[in-house]
Formats: sequence, C-alpha cells, structure tokens
Amino acid sequence: MVNPLRKLLFRGSSRENGQRPTKLEKGEVLLRAEGIVKEFPGVWTHLILDHVTFDVRAGEIHALLGENGAGKTVMANILSGFYMPSSGQIHVRGRQVSINSPKDALRLGIGMAHQETTLVRPLTVAENIALGISEFDLSYPLSKVERRVRELSQRYGLEVDPRARVEDLSAGEQQRVEILKTLYYEPYVLILDEPTSVLAPQEAEQLFSILRSMAADGRGIVYITHKLEEVMELSDRVSVLRLGKLVATKQTSQTTKEELVRMMIGDVAITPTKRGRAKKGEVALELRDLHVLGAEGSPAVDGVSIQVRGGEILGIAGVAGNGQRELVEAITGMRGVEAGRILIFGEDMTGRSPRAFADQGVSHIPEERRRIGTAEGMSLAENLMMRDYRLPPFSKRGVLDRSLISQHAQRMVSEFGIMAPDLWDTEARILSGGNIQRLILARELWREPRLIIAAHPTYGLDLKAVQHTHELFSRLRGKGSAILLVSEDLEEIFAMSDRIAVMFRGKIVDVKGARETNPDEIGLMMAGSQI
Amino acid sequence: MSERLWSTLRSVAPPVVAIAVGLFVGALLMLSFGFDPVRGYVALFRGSYGSPEAWMESLAFSTPLMVTAITFAVGMSAGLFNICAEGHMYMGAAGAIAVGGMVSLPPGLHLVAATAAAMLVGGLWALPAALLKMWRGVHEVVSTIMFNWIAFWFVLYLIRFHITDPGRAERATPAMITARYPVLGGSLTGVIFVVIAFCVAIYFLLWHTGLGYELRLAGDNPDAARYAGVSFRRVILLTFLIGGLAAGLAGGSQILGRPPSWTVYATLGNLLNLGFQGIGVALIGRNHPIGAIFAAVFFGGLAHGGRFMEYEVGVSAEMVGAINGIIVIALALPEILRIVKRVRAVKE
Repeated sequence: MVNPLRKLLFRGSSRENGQRPTKLEKGEVLLRAEGIVKEFPGVWTHLILDHVTFDVRAGEIHALLGENGAGKTVMANILSGFYMPSSGQIHVRGRQVSINSPKDALRLGIGMAHQETTLVRPLTVAENIALGISEFDLSYPLSKVERRVRELSQRYGLEVDPRARVEDLSAGEQQRVEILKTLYYEPYVLILDEPTSVLAPQEAEQLFSILRSMAADGRGIVYITHKLEEVMELSDRVSVLRLGKLVATKQTSQTTKEELVRMMIGDVAITPTKRGRAKKGEVALELRDLHVLGAEGSPAVDGVSIQVRGGEILGIAGVAGNGQRELVEAITGMRGVEAGRILIFGEDMTGRSPRAFADQGVSHIPEERRRIGTAEGMSLAENLMMRDYRLPPFSKRGVLDRSLISQHAQRMVSEFGIMAPDLWDTEARILSGGNIQRLILARELWREPRLIIAAHPTYGLDLKAVQHTHELFSRLRGKGSAILLVSEDLEEIFAMSDRIAVMFRGKIVDVKGARETNPDEIGLMMAGSQI
Repeated sequence: MSERLWSTLRSVAPPVVAIAVGLFVGALLMLSFGFDPVRGYVALFRGSYGSPEAWMESLAFSTPLMVTAITFAVGMSAGLFNICAEGHMYMGAAGAIAVGGMVSLPPGLHLVAATAAAMLVGGLWALPAALLKMWRGVHEVVSTIMFNWIAFWFVLYLIRFHITDPGRAERATPAMITARYPVLGGSLTGVIFVVIAFCVAIYFLLWHTGLGYELRLAGDNPDAARYAGVSFRRVILLTFLIGGLAAGLAGGSQILGRPPSWTVYATLGNLLNLGFQGIGVALIGRNHPIGAIFAAVFFGGLAHGGRFMEYEVGVSAEMVGAINGIIVIALALPEILRIVKRVRAVKE
C-alpha cells in the first residue's frame, strides 16, 4: 500500500539515498566560479568579493587562503547557496547553474561543512543526519540512515557511532558528523570552512587523512583556512584572497610559505611617522608567563611574557587565530586565566572582573564591535555611557543626569565625527560599521586612559577614519598612555608601533624595535619560520 | 521634541494595529456564530467605558493587571522570561490577609503595614527562583512555573487552615475596616493610586537610574553588559525582586482594595489568572511601565464590558478571552515577519 503522505513528502528528487551514478574523472573541472562579485550595500562601501574566479577539480584539495575579512567565507557561502552573488557565474561540471539555496547546492553536488557545527546536541548522529534529509518523513527508517552512516564511515575512515548522542562527542567527532551530514548526499565538491579551528592536533591529522582519501575517491575539496602549515601540508593548489580580490592561484608544490604570507598581507609600504620620542613611563602592563585556554579548552595563549610602558605602543602582529583574541580577552578581564599573572600598574589583576580592569584605567576596543562593543537595541547616548553611567558627574547617587549625558554625547558626536540621526531615540543597530567603531573609540578614549588595549581598531574603516584613529593614538601616546595594538594590518603595525611582537601559535616569537626590523622579517615570523 | 513624538508614535502603532486586528477577527467570529458584531461591540464598550460608573469598574478590573504586567515587563527588559507573577500574587494576597485581616493596628498605619506586607511577601517569594538562577543557572521559566504551583497550593492550605474566616469557612478573613483603601465608587478604591505610583517609580528606575541602565543593558546584549562590568547576579536579583514586589502588590490590591469581598475565596477564584493576564498586558504595553498602565485599562475594560456583551447581545463573555488571544498573536506577527524578512535579506 502506498502511503499518500509519504508520496507527498517524497516529491521531487528520486535519489532516496543520494547515490550518484557517474564516476568522476580525475582533473575534471567540477565547479567553476567566474567573476564573482559580492557587495553588502549599506554595510560596507567596498566590494566584499571583487571579480573572483576560482575552480575545483576532481581529485584535488584546493586551499582558499586569506586573512580574516579577505572574503573566504563569503565565497564559500556563495558556492554552497547561503548567499547569492551580486554578479558572476557559477558552472557545475561545465553547465551554468544558479544556486538559490543550500538545497540547490546539495542537489548540484556541492556540500559545505561549516566552521561552527550546526548539530542538535541531544539527538543521535543518525537523527541529526536524518533531520537534513528532505525526503525524511515519519516512515523513513532510521536504521537505513544508520546503515549508510556506517558505510560512509568505513569508506573514509570517519569513525563515528551513528547511535551516539552528539553532546557526548568530542569536538573532533562533531566535526566528523558535520562532514558525514554533507557526505550523505554524495557531493562532488566538499567545502570545509576552517575545520581545524576547534580541533586538537591529532584530530586535525585524522581529518587530513580523511580528506585525502575523499580526494583520492575523485571528489574536489575546497579547504578554507588562514593557517599556512595546513595549506602546505594538505593542498594540491592554493588560491590567495586579499581584501576580496584573488591575488593568485598556485600549485602548492611550486610556492613557499614566505611567498604565501607576502600574498596574504600584500605590499607593506612603511610610512615612517614623524613623531617625538615620547618619554617612557612606568610599566603599565606586565604579563608573566600567561596561559589562557581557547573556546574548546585547548591552549590559546601559551606562556606569554611582555611589558608595555607608558608612552609606548606595542604592536602585536600575527595571522589571525594564533591566540591574539584570547590574549586581549584575558588582559581585559573578559576571559579567565589558566596560569601566569597579569600586572597592571603594578597591581595583580589576575582573575579580576572586567569592571576591576576598567577601574584600574584599562580601555578596551574590542575586536567584535557589534557583539560585545555595543548594545544595538539601545540609543547612541546610552551606548556612549557604558563606561561612565555609574560615575559622577553623569550619575549622582545612582540617578542619571540625562541633560549632562546629552551634552557629553553631543560633544563626542562632533569630536569623533559619529554620524547618527539623534542621541536618544534611534537604536544603535542602524549605525554603519564605521560609525559603530567611532562610537566605541569615543567611549573608550575620551577620558585619555592610562592603558589602551585595542584589537583591530581600524579594520573596515575608511581612509580618513583610519588616519583620525592613528592621530588619536599618537596623541594619547604622547600624553603618556600605554597602548597594546593588535592588528593583522602590517602597515598599521609598522606605522604605529614602537616595538613589534609577533604572535604564533599562542607564543610570542620575538619582540623587535620597529626601526630594527622590516615587514619581510615580521612576515616570516608570522609564518612560523624560525630565524 | 517632534522626533521624540514620532518615535513614541512608532512604538505605539503596533499594539494599536494589533488591537484593531483582534477586534476585527472577533467581529468575524461573532458573525460566524450568528451574532451582530456591531451590537456586540457597542454593548461591550458602552459597558466598559460608557459612563463614569463603567469607567470605575473597568479601572477596578485593570488595577491588578497594571502591576502583574510590570513583573513581566521588567523581566523582559532584563532579558528574563519571568512568568512568576501568578504565584507572587497569591503570596501577596496571603500576606495582605495576615496583616490586614488578623492584626489590629491603628487606622492609616494598618493600611500601610498591610500593603507593605503584601509586597514584601511577594518579594521574598521571588528569592528562591532568583537564587536558583544566580547560583545554579536554573532557567526562570521552569522554576517560576513550579513556584507558581507551590504558591497556589500553599495559599489554598493557608486559607483552609490558618487564615480562614471564622464565620465563613469558604473564604479567608477579610481585611479589617482599618486596612481597607477608601472606596472611590463601585469596586474602585484608592489602591489604584498606589499601583500607578508604583508603575511610575519603576519607569524612573528603569530609565533614569544606573541600576535600570544595567538591567536594560543586560537585557539588550549580555555580552556587552559583561564588557561594561555589569554584575549579572545583581541584575537577576533586582529583576526578580521588583517582579515579586509588583505582583505582591497586585495580590494585596485584591484584598485591601477590592469591595465587596475584601478577601480571597478558597478556590482563589477572584485572583486566578491575574498574573498570567499581566503577560498579555505587558506585551500590549510594549514592556514599558507606562505602557502597561494604558494596556491594563484596555484589558480591564474588556473584562468588565464582556459581561454586558453577554447580557445584552448574548455573545458569551468568553469571546473577550478569544479577542485577547488574537490581539497577542497579532502583536507577535510583525516580529515573525521581521525574522522571515531578515532571513531573505541575508540571502540577497
């Protein structure tokens, strides 16, 4: 008997198990993206992807390399149907297609495993996979899914028990489930977005061998990363993106880490800043053998010891993901410390709260501006008050002085050039990225703090705003503030810093005087080369 | 100033539209049951706002809703889904009876003491749920639902065995004359002024003090609040405490300020659901303490006028419940549409 409901739910695809009949020829171009442009009008003024052309062939692992914000993830999201390109063409196995949804992409044989897993934690592995099956209905036997999961696990050595609950699995196993979820549809092309960011080294090794066996099976793998070692170890070809543009596509065997770093960070023009030699002040920040754990419990900051003095800018250079974020969070009280000590103006601040750090005179310009730097549902004036709302003269015995706050906010708006329709009535949500950053700079810097921790302070700003920020930092330095500047932009690091520390895999590789080094040397250290 | 006016209008528009939708769908419902919706609504609104007497009754109905709405609204401002008002209200009523009905105090002082007792008992009842959330991370929806039931049976037990009216076993001891708010007319008493003053005080706390700022910041973006150095435990405690005081006052208002019974029956019939109705009132009032006052007047009017609709046109008073429900759904619709739109916008 045919169950009418089942029939209804089964419409469309006849690939109940997603088996693809054709065998893939090695070297065949599976997926080709031509002249892809993506813009986010109103959010960013520049193009996020600027005429990028990119292809994946059967049997290869193609790495997509670039710094944060280079456009890697946006590219992947376009190929897998999460975003629509503003213009450009996509060809799958020689046929032009338009991909309107992740479902379309899967139907065309393109699957993506996301950076953060999208699994339902209390369900089992098989149940999670069944969730994504469009043909799934109440009569679809889970045992069938389980059987196929076992089959796929065996074929690629992806060991996962289909009956295990996701919440009981390690990060590496969850990653494997995420890949299995995609493999279930037998994609020609598998896209992985920074899959090792949550994995332990051995787990990463296992993943690499799985990916190699999938490539050997004739699939094309797109591997997104900003880690050079992974590119060198794993990939057959590598494409480098910088600021939305494709710099080059190379055979991995014909390039070197050093060349890749140069392509990632671009030509660095050193503009020697004319500035007075600021009088070195007392030690503002001192870290003694600091150890901090990352999100998944793996060590992110691994024994860092540095000092920053008043009147000095210490630049922290490094490819993203080498512990800079965790370092910044630890020295502003936002993240717990595993071992080591944080001294601020001689006072031991290890394990203290964000408020204690603020009271000690630490300003924090956070990397995630909208997520932690602003309350988007509140007004401009209220956002400017985040540090000062409990301090006189804005607050008297707990009661806020609205007119004084208005005056102050008005001053900040004109001094820092924040473009906002009003002070009290419009939600900060509608402010552009640049104006959000000006708001944060105004809030964190107007009191001329003694110690400034700035993470990517000019990222995404236009040229004028960048200049303004740099002038501001120089002026504060001249007045004796100590500044720790974390940036991926080497030009900024060289233009602003007195000394440059390079961070690699949670450690400080070396600290150099800005005048005694050059971008090439720093670039090599960023790539992890020992000198 | 005109910008201010516009933004106020913008925030008032959704509930007004939702109310219109609710009334419209209610009319369709009446039609489908063979009643004349025009006559129904005329009876409803004449009954609720048609005369000074009608206004007094409607306001009497709305008084407890203003403060149970505050409980939910303050919770939402802080990002907590606090649905504890029902239980706090029962406890507050018990507190009001304990002091207002069983202790003799001089006039004036007695009223103040009984009101304070209602609020304090309500506030204390908030502590277990608050502490569970602060120390063990127990979600407030789960804990408050359980505490609501505990309060229900506990107060029922008190009425049966400890605060029973010696003359009439089916109810608790009524508030003494010295602990009753002066009657303004009909069922309306002076307690409404206390309730409105409380709403205004909460408005001031939320929008003009550092504590209120912390609370709203934590509600808008917990990560930013942490960054700004806000203590979550303090925010949770404060939110629950205000919620408890507010709902306690709601319970007290039904004992010390609601003729003719001035007490609670052993079924809790005259208190039942006032706390949960506060959630709808808060939503219509856009989770704003002043908005809650106006929304409560509307809901109170519906509750009172519904009886006239049944009496004069034959539409059962439960229709009011249906209209209330449709209004809340209509109010939620724009948010749902916004989410759909956002998903589409991201794709393009």
